[in-house]
Amino acid sequence: MPKVEINTQAPDFSLADFNGQTVRLTDFRGGKNVVLVFNRGFT
Amino acid sequence: MAQLRQDFSAFVAQEAVILVVGPEGPATFKDYWQKHSLPFVGLPDLSHQVLKLFGQQVSLFRMGRMPAQVVVDKQGCARFVHYGDSMSDIPDNQELLGLLADLNREQLKEAV
Repeated sequence: MPKVEINTQAPDFSLADFNGQTVRLTDFRGGKNVVLVFNRGFT
Repeated sequence: MAQLRQDFSAFVAQEAVILVVGPEGPATFKDYWQKHSLPFVGLPDLSHQVLKLFGQQVSLFRMGRMPAQVVVDKQGCARFVHYGDSMSDIPDNQELLGLLADLNREQLKEAV
């Protein structure tokens, strides 16, 4: 399974949030830093 | 997650958005977000497409996914990557906030 390397372009993705609104990583390019948190789950 | 919520305004002040990706479905996310009043974006990834893309580790011994954090700067470059070895192996918020402050300073210098 690939791991993201530091100081390389992060792979883009598109997912719907839990309200159904589409979020793309590139939506934030040029405007915001992004903290991506990968969780195990909430149960 | 509680620590992230506690420092949420500090992340906003560092021009950062927090996206939480997990293998649960939208209803589970929504319930959890409402129960804990979480202010950040929750992204269900039922097909595990993004979890795989970013290489989140699965521990069979611990019967689950290990935490991971990636900070992406405004140019789309990964500037911090942490793959946890255990459920409690997560970076301190102050480390992330310090990095974000450095990134913002760098970007200001480049803009001048």
